[in-house]
Amino acid sequence: MGRLFWALAVVFAVASASFFLLAALPGDPARIVAGPQARPADLVRVRKDLQLDRSIVARYGLFLKKLVHIAGDPKASEHASCERVIPLVRGYELHIDLGRSYQHRAPVAKVIFTRYPRSMALAIAGIVIQLLIGVTVGSIAAAKKGTWIDRFLTGITSLGVSAPTFLTAVLLQYLFAHRLRWLPLDGFGDTFLDHVRSIALPALTLGLYGAAYFARLTRDELITLMSQDFVRTARAKGTSRLRAFVVHGLRGALLPLVTAAGLELGSLAGGAAVTESIFRWPGLGHLGVEAVLNRDGPMVIGVVFVAASTVVMATAAIDIFGHWLHPLAREKSSE
Amino acid sequence: MFSTRKASLLFALIGVLGCDIALPAPLPVGHPADDTPRAGGTLRFASLGDVRSIDPARCNDGVSSSLVRFLFAALIEFDEQGKLVPELAERWEVLDGGTRFRFFIRQDVRFHDGSPLTAEDVKRSLERALHPDTPNPSASYFRNVVGYDLYADKKVPHLDGIEVEGSHLLSIRLTSPDAAFLPLLTLPPARPVCKSAGAQFADNWAPCGTGPFQLRDGGWSKGQFVRVVRNPMYFVPGLPHLDAIEMHFLMNPPTQRFKFEVGELDFVRDLTHADTIRFARDRRWQDAIARGPDLDVYGESMNTEMPPFDNVEVRRAVAAALDRKAFTAVRPLHLSVNTATLPQSMPGVDATFQGQTFDLEKALEHMRRAGYPFDPKTGQGGYPKTISYLVYPLGIHEKTGQLVQQQLSRIGIRIELRLVSWASYLSLSQRQGAVAISPQGWQQDFPDPSGVLDPLFSSTSINATESSNSAFYRNPALDSMLARAHTEFDPERRKDIYRTCNRILVEDAPWAFTTSLHSFEIRQPYLRGYTPHPVHSYNFARTWLDRSTTGTPSSLGPRR
Repeated sequence: MGRLFWALAVVFAVASASFFLLAALPGDPARIVAGPQARPADLVRVRKDLQLDRSIVARYGLFLKKLVHIAGDPKASEHASCERVIPLVRGYELHIDLGRSYQHRAPVAKVIFTRYPRSMALAIAGIVIQLLIGVTVGSIAAAKKGTWIDRFLTGITSLGVSAPTFLTAVLLQYLFAHRLRWLPLDGFGDTFLDHVRSIALPALTLGLYGAAYFARLTRDELITLMSQDFVRTARAKGTSRLRAFVVHGLRGALLPLVTAAGLELGSLAGGAAVTESIFRWPGLGHLGVEAVLNRDGPMVIGVVFVAASTVVMATAAIDIFGHWLHPLAREKSSE
Repeated sequence: MFSTRKASLLFALIGVLGCDIALPAPLPVGHPADDTPRAGGTLRFASLGDVRSIDPARCNDGVSSSLVRFLFAALIEFDEQGKLVPELAERWEVLDGGTRFRFFIRQDVRFHDGSPLTAEDVKRSLERALHPDTPNPSASYFRNVVGYDLYADKKVPHLDGIEVEGSHLLSIRLTSPDAAFLPLLTLPPARPVCKSAGAQFADNWAPCGTGPFQLRDGGWSKGQFVRVVRNPMYFVPGLPHLDAIEMHFLMNPPTQRFKFEVGELDFVRDLTHADTIRFARDRRWQDAIARGPDLDVYGESMNTEMPPFDNVEVRRAVAAALDRKAFTAVRPLHLSVNTATLPQSMPGVDATFQGQTFDLEKALEHMRRAGYPFDPKTGQGGYPKTISYLVYPLGIHEKTGQLVQQQLSRIGIRIELRLVSWASYLSLSQRQGAVAISPQGWQQDFPDPSGVLDPLFSSTSINATESSNSAFYRNPALDSMLARAHTEFDPERRKDIYRTCNRILVEDAPWAFTTSLHSFEIRQPYLRGYTPHPVHSYNFARTWLDRSTTGTPSSLGPRR
């Protein structure tokens, strides 16, 4: 219960901070909407249209009042910018209302919830690749500790961490899409198969970048675990090296790996802006960057709110899974 | 051992991946000797930007304006020489001393939904675009129309100044004569829309007009692409030649190049600067390259209300101290030297007029006259305070600002660059008393001097905030000339007035004019019948595709 309270408090604080930060920044969102050549009379009209003529306190009050609420008459015009979360009894519904985007002229929640699954899909695909490559490379490096293979793989992972995603992305585009023509250069596609083909390169870009971290984590954890007394005891009792490696080593490394993967998933689901932009993957990351550049306040707050909520939920999930994965914690709770 | 052999393999791989920057040969043309337009095919191009709307009533960015032209025809339009010509109106008359414009609308025009275009539709479309509830940021351009203020205040249901005189006869009355009114009718908000648009703007309306192409269901995926298809009822016989146009949004320059090389794009403008230079230098591509129109004018705006630029001699010193050729080196293929108020491609501009020229000795003399003599040898003297210069990141001005800093230091003006966000830059640089000098640019909405000079230099454009006259320049003589130009309908006399305005501004130097920006367009040789337009980007109204069915880029593998 305490954790839930703190999670909600974190999300609320982040959303409020972004609201005030955006309001405090110099520059006029109306100017960005109307264009640099708009005349003063046009700006007055746009400001009124966007409710920017109201005080910041009034706008914040309205923002909080509408953020999460229960709607008695969901079809009323005041709920036009709402996204239904859960249907309740007697026609009541739990709504999220993040306002209307200045630039998209559409409900922020609607735009975000269209994009969110795409960012989540990319995040999951990216994490899967990160884990597949990272754990494999890390395990090999740990098994070959101190040899040239270990040094080579450690070097490669350093390269992976150091190479910026925009470079990796363009190189992958060049090789797999432009030269070999196996995959599309960019886009989202129309059919499910198109989506799968289109997600491959951005996921690989994220995968290669993050795999380096998981490889290092796996290697270090495995090397530490393999020198522990209980592994030595198991080996002395006749357990094969492979079995000791997998059962005692990899299983022990699972908790830090899951923790890291969960946090990574949370941050990637909030949008991998550079990768999404290069591959024109229509997710949250690009939406957020565009919103910041355009001073689209409601959209920025919406993206921050959803991203923060995802990180908080991922952290909560890690707490639960970590508890279940960790033998000592499990034993304590069963006592 | 790993070290040497494997490392060299690794770098060889990176080299193969990253260093193949040579351009392929252009894709072959089907019938190079035959200039007869061929019907069919889909033209594909991409943009680095996105469109906010395809509704002409809510259209205020460059990309959407071009797109709107595919779908919506206008009463009158600029031709490829920048001259106003009939489009939906067969002809027009200027009556009552320039306060009434009567349009004779073509009777053979149909909207994409099949309904005929009438004068009532033109009136309804204009009223819809200018309605106060419509998010049209350029509505006040039309404030000279009789009854605009009452309509904008919702005190009357219709705009009195737009009169339907017959089924295909329409008049627009103005409160005062305006020779610059006709170009406004080429802007997106004045383009007729189908009856389905209704009398008021709605976000979910499916765009429908009288243009050469139409939008079908699913034709627009925001942030991804728009696909418009040929309008079989288009009123110009034989046009358009293309079956469809596909425009892709938010596409990165390297991706655009990759797609262009294999013929997945037929036209590019947004390549990286390095790639643009590669195309410009490659002889094989010379016939497929075109210089676009000068759309933007750039200059250093000096706040005439703030020291030291309240002193005209300091402003003249700045104008003489800037070596504009160095500015063009920032983007040699896109920037041209511009020494006066208007871009060179604007019709009627006097190409022989020298304007503000670089002369360091003259600049030092102006500084001496201003009371700030400077000795370049010792670095002594000059204006004693450091002046803050506002720039925003990633634009051309971030680099030209450094040139301004360097070049003005030679006459004793010390500049400190202040980097702010784009939104802050816009706000601060046009706020009274906030900034002494800043880089400014202006993109012409239509090729008429009034569209540049009125907002930038008329005292009526001065506001405490959001002042388009960012130099806060007041000159009654100039104001009077600009007002006279609006009532002068004789083209030659009007040109003379603007030439005088130009001379006043060059002499008074509220801006040190520096450069103008144009696009650099590269098309596949099989994209034929293309001519750059002085106003509109993407002038595909008369283009056709003549792609050879044989021949693929030799360097590429099979398509899977």
